[in-house]
Amino acid sequence: MPPSSAGASAAGAHVARALGTPWRAVTVFLLPAATFYVAFTAYPVFRTLWNSFHKVLPAKEEFVGLANYAELVRDEIFWRAVRNTLVWACTSPLFEVSIALVLALALYAKVPGRRFFRIAWFTPVLMSYVVVGIIWAWIYNYDWGAVNTGLRALGLNSWTRAWLGKQETALPALIFVTTWMWSGFNMVVLLAALHSLPSEVIEAAELDNCGWWGKLVHVIFPMIRPTVLNLVVLSFVGKMKIFDLVWITTKGGPLWSTETVSIYVYKRAFEWNTFDLGYPSAVASVWFVIVLGSVLTLSYVFRQREKLEY
Amino acid sequence: MMPAAEPPRIRHDDNEGDNPMISAFRPRRAFIASVFAALVALPTAALAQELTMWSHWAAEVAKRAYVEDAIKRFEASKPGVKVKITWYEKSALYAALKTALRAGQAPDVFYAEVDQTDYIDNNLLADLSTGVNWNNVEPWAKQAWTFGKGTYGFPLEASTVEVYYNTKLMADLGVTVPANGQFDQAAFLDLVKKARAKGITPMSQGVGDRPFPGAYVTHEALLKKLGMNDYDALMKGKLSWSDPRVVETLTWVKQLVDAGAFPTSFTSLKLGESHIYFHTNPGALMFQVASWYTARAFNPPDKGGQPVNFPLGIMQSPAMNGGACNNCKSLAVGGSYVVNAASPRKDLGIAFLNSFATPEMGNKWLENVLVQTGIKTDASKIAGPHAGYFKQLAKANESNTYYFGTPVQVMQGKPKEVFTQVVNSALPAGSISVDDVVKQMNAAK
Repeated sequence: MPPSSAGASAAGAHVARALGTPWRAVTVFLLPAATFYVAFTAYPVFRTLWNSFHKVLPAKEEFVGLANYAELVRDEIFWRAVRNTLVWACTSPLFEVSIALVLALALYAKVPGRRFFRIAWFTPVLMSYVVVGIIWAWIYNYDWGAVNTGLRALGLNSWTRAWLGKQETALPALIFVTTWMWSGFNMVVLLAALHSLPSEVIEAAELDNCGWWGKLVHVIFPMIRPTVLNLVVLSFVGKMKIFDLVWITTKGGPLWSTETVSIYVYKRAFEWNTFDLGYPSAVASVWFVIVLGSVLTLSYVFRQREKLEY
Repeated sequence: MMPAAEPPRIRHDDNEGDNPMISAFRPRRAFIASVFAALVALPTAALAQELTMWSHWAAEVAKRAYVEDAIKRFEASKPGVKVKITWYEKSALYAALKTALRAGQAPDVFYAEVDQTDYIDNNLLADLSTGVNWNNVEPWAKQAWTFGKGTYGFPLEASTVEVYYNTKLMADLGVTVPANGQFDQAAFLDLVKKARAKGITPMSQGVGDRPFPGAYVTHEALLKKLGMNDYDALMKGKLSWSDPRVVETLTWVKQLVDAGAFPTSFTSLKLGESHIYFHTNPGALMFQVASWYTARAFNPPDKGGQPVNFPLGIMQSPAMNGGACNNCKSLAVGGSYVVNAASPRKDLGIAFLNSFATPEMGNKWLENVLVQTGIKTDASKIAGPHAGYFKQLAKANESNTYYFGTPVQVMQGKPKEVFTQVVNSALPAGSISVDDVVKQMNAAK
């Protein structure tokens, strides 16, 4: 290190020592955020874990050890809810992100009417699940819903059914709704990623006579891969927590074919005519661990092993 | 009533007494403190007379009007008392109450139904045994809210399970309802088939937003087949669903389902839509529902009511072959009010509920809400355009024996959840076999 630079560094350290760490300012700046975090995140999480080992009634709490967890293992409705939620969380990201990629590429390729399509495809995500649920319950209505009306108009009467009322179609019908709702959002994010790609790399590929498929697979996709993977994780987490759409449309029926874990927690906490919060807390705690574990696993599997160079 | 606020204490420092200046100021300070205490106490005293109340029926105009009128009468009879009511829809109310009761923030009076025994188990409700004039309440309605030695709810709304039908469509089908208003199993199945053959939906129930309408046919049939005691045992998990009489009844229900008894949109059809489906569009032959049918149907047609001069008839649920009690019928106490056990204004809350316990209030409920009530009434004194309906309803119920409560009121926890999914929804939707119903219900006991 040159002497002048070493001298400057020593002087800086001296000043820092003289000033000391500004603990008061640090505290003042951190306190509001820390208070909110403790009150609305840390405490509820801790309290839920605590509740899961207790029978929690309005006037008393009784320690029950692992009894709630033992009951959970034997609870068929819980496992059905787990299966439904995992099916939803694993399939939805594939549909949403792949459709979004196609739409984003179409807009990136400057298809005619792209401004209209960008708005039209993005609009569903602006609506709340409650509104979306009501609209799609109408669309799926057996007698006068758009789906069955369309099928009848095409002479496909035998294909008509109560889409949300049959065990075999209810969950796929809801997965279709979330795909319709979220593809536009994913499309906008991917479009932004496409527009931020370095033009010289794409131009270089074109100069090398790289076809559109080769350009997509070997140039564009590797560069937007981190964005795609983030969207997959976001979609996965969103579906692991899904509640509103199911509550509005099917309430978990028919025969628990659309029961999700969030719905089951709510039913156990507020609809089963029991004040005990212990068991629903056990369900929520187990699910929290599963979601956390899944996200960490996905992040590990999807991690970028080699840095892209271009 | 809350105790009067204690005036703030004036602190005397040990050395104050020796200071003549401070001693000279004491009367003035005491005066200021008194004024301050009075100012603080005044609004507190006023608040002590404010009774808070949370109620279902936000969307039911007639019931709201009735309760709001009762509040006005009570306030007029108790000067200085104000009842502050907040209206909810049922599920939102239940969720809010669960949280508020746990946090000690619940209102003084709130809406409840007899299946909410968890309130009683956790000592959250005040005992109304004394303070309410039970002489003016039907004994069965009081009994529905009596648990152990206490009576915990005031039974405002009551209902029986009825089979309403369109008399014109019935005549068009060429079918005559028996004189006692009750078909047998085979005749009822035949009626369903005849209606379907003519393109008429036999029954307009749907389960789009309620956990019970799809189960009416089944539980009324089971009640008639088994009789009161065995039916009660079945509901409480003490009788197996594999019992041959139960299987036989479920098999008959399945035959009705397979014959197309319910609308094709059964699983998504909401309660309000079921009413419209029955009386207006597209029109159904029958609608089996609790007698609070009238709360919607007697509204003006542009507000979802049945058409003027709609040919409404009432018949009995079908008699079962070898039924132990073919004149048995479910009677449910519905919307009720309870008093919060932790309320500092408990006595005032009980006094408010007692203000409903008069024949005048009972008749007023019947005339305006057009639904049965647990308050004693005199149907002969009911006047107005629907007087004929109440006579018809009274006739339909004159020789019945009642089982108190519907399955979703009697069952709790997992059996209730499984009953809702299986018997209320899957069986009438035709998506489950009788064997599976039996297996699932037995597993949930």
